[in-house]
Amino acid sequence: MSARNTFPAPPINRPLGRPLRRGFHTTAATFHGGIDRPEPGTGIKVHFQDAKGNPLKTIEANEGDDLLSIAHEYDIDLEGACEGSVACSTCHVVIDPDHYDLLPEPEDDENDMLDMAFGLTDTSRLGCQVRLTKELDGMTATLPAATRNMFVDGKKPTHH
Amino acid sequence: MAPLKLAIVGGGPSAFYVASRLLSLLPQSSSRASALKIDMYDRLWAPYGLVRYGVAPDHPEVKNCTHKFAEAAADPRLRFFGNVNIGTDSPIADTLPLSLRALIPHYTHLLLATGCTVPVPHPALPPSPLCVPALSLVHWYTQHPARPAPPPLERTTHVTLIGNGNVALDVARMLLTPPSELAKYDVPTPVLAALERSAVQHVSIVGRRGPFQAAFTTKELREMMALPDAAMVPLDPALLVPPEGAPAPTRQQARTLQLLQKGSKNAFGTTRKTWSLDFFREPRALALPASSSAGTARPRLTLGHTELDAAGRAVAVDGETTLETDLVVTSLGHRAEPSAPWADAALGHTRTARGRVLDADGRVVRNVYASGWAAMGARGVLASTMLDAYAVADTILQDHFPGEDVHTTPVSERDAVRAEEAVEVLPREVDVHAIPGEVESGWREGRVTDFEDWKAVDSEEVRRGEVLGKERERMVWEEAREFLAFARPRNVRA
Repeated sequence: MSARNTFPAPPINRPLGRPLRRGFHTTAATFHGGIDRPEPGTGIKVHFQDAKGNPLKTIEANEGDDLLSIAHEYDIDLEGACEGSVACSTCHVVIDPDHYDLLPEPEDDENDMLDMAFGLTDTSRLGCQVRLTKELDGMTATLPAATRNMFVDGKKPTHH
Repeated sequence: MAPLKLAIVGGGPSAFYVASRLLSLLPQSSSRASALKIDMYDRLWAPYGLVRYGVAPDHPEVKNCTHKFAEAAADPRLRFFGNVNIGTDSPIADTLPLSLRALIPHYTHLLLATGCTVPVPHPALPPSPLCVPALSLVHWYTQHPARPAPPPLERTTHVTLIGNGNVALDVARMLLTPPSELAKYDVPTPVLAALERSAVQHVSIVGRRGPFQAAFTTKELREMMALPDAAMVPLDPALLVPPEGAPAPTRQQARTLQLLQKGSKNAFGTTRKTWSLDFFREPRALALPASSSAGTARPRLTLGHTELDAAGRAVAVDGETTLETDLVVTSLGHRAEPSAPWADAALGHTRTARGRVLDADGRVVRNVYASGWAAMGARGVLASTMLDAYAVADTILQDHFPGEDVHTTPVSERDAVRAEEAVEVLPREVDVHAIPGEVESGWREGRVTDFEDWKAVDSEEVRRGEVLGKERERMVWEEAREFLAFARPRNVRA
């Protein structure tokens, strides 16, 4: 018996309608959860794929939805540690070149976070900053490969 | 079905990311859900480790990760116990000491998520009132239970930071940002008061190599350049030219170079406060001058000059600079406590292979794992800690369910641990609900906290903050304990 599906990708537990965190952020946290699914066939299509190019899901969403919220709505394994406030790089995605060119340039704060992202490419963006417009229909978003240097395997630290 | 009753030593981000990942890979709907139990222990009374006691107060967005941690803690299979110090000496008063020997009989699995809590000293600068580790300032402005003495800022005009990573820049920024700008965050009231009385006018940030080797990242450098009330001493343009034969700068290096070339928003000479990046300088000695009029003697820091050798390391060259400074702050990284279980003194943290802990002879210790800085060394922000934690969670499940395809983070190789090669320290059968008796009685007397206690304190800190117009007003342990005695008395079972 195949054990392929024994450990499905974990559902992202994000309660709908979570209140915007009250506080004094210099960058407003994106309001997550509660994005509406458009009627099938009427929305903007996004193809999510894994680092190897295997398709994960093709979904539809509405104009203005950001890729991080979309991933969470459709249980795609994209993390957002800082919850869309451009304070981390965990929602890093790679956009297909044609659609990447249609996106507005990243601001300094997004670029600062991308500086630290793993597997950065020329068409990388933070998912929380990519908002859908009609011209992005058919965009492909690839989840980047994680590096394997997380395991030290007994190496001595390099001495400076 | 064999139980997976996991004790996690440490309650910071790597602990919570491992726990969260395990709980979601074995969701309540799974037939295996009941095999998993997680008890998390931290020697601080509050959870979240560096997220609460390390992240700078003016970076509140970073702390949004705690929402996910709280969701994990809402799973009834996860319990948190604060104020429990396992297996090491602790500088923190009123913690419950618990030996590993007392913990082990209750668990089939153990995860060390204890971080790197010991600052690396500088060999030429012994600790003294004149020279403190950056960690003590971070502990001061986050009100960490270690309670270091506050820096005497009212009689400090010049501060020298040794090291130019993000911790150094955090400290510099806290000292140079107008307190009125900081007031809205969670800076404790006594800390704000001290910053309002601060006489600091200049902060030097010393690094033994150059701009292309500096450990700061673009965001933190940008924040320094944008300080409203301080200006950077312009850099010698020669420093900003990549060395001959050097590899092409990385994206981050190219962007920080642009920031350094542009300089600070405020031109040097137009502000009351200033800061400088002093490259190719290495401390040699710190002393009070031998004779001078009483009360005006200032410490003198001697800095040797350096350059890069062919391998890119700092080597001494002729030349010395002397700096009059009031306080030296070393920010040279951290290592794990040498007395921590399975700590490798030479490595500065626990030795692991794919998350599995190795003993001094290099053998795998069955069912003992390490994650985060305890396993990797003190490098990386939340993103790398999360990736590591998820990979360790994979390994834990691969080991527990051999032959099954646990494959949620990309792996390049797979290695099963052969039973005869592993060292045994943990039992195979345990009482799934039991905790050590000392923890139980510590909880009853109000000395050991649980997650519901934290939630009550968390809400109260936010409530007290609202009254003052700030993000939260932090409580110290005595205040929290007093509050909990009233809000969550122990004679009422939660």
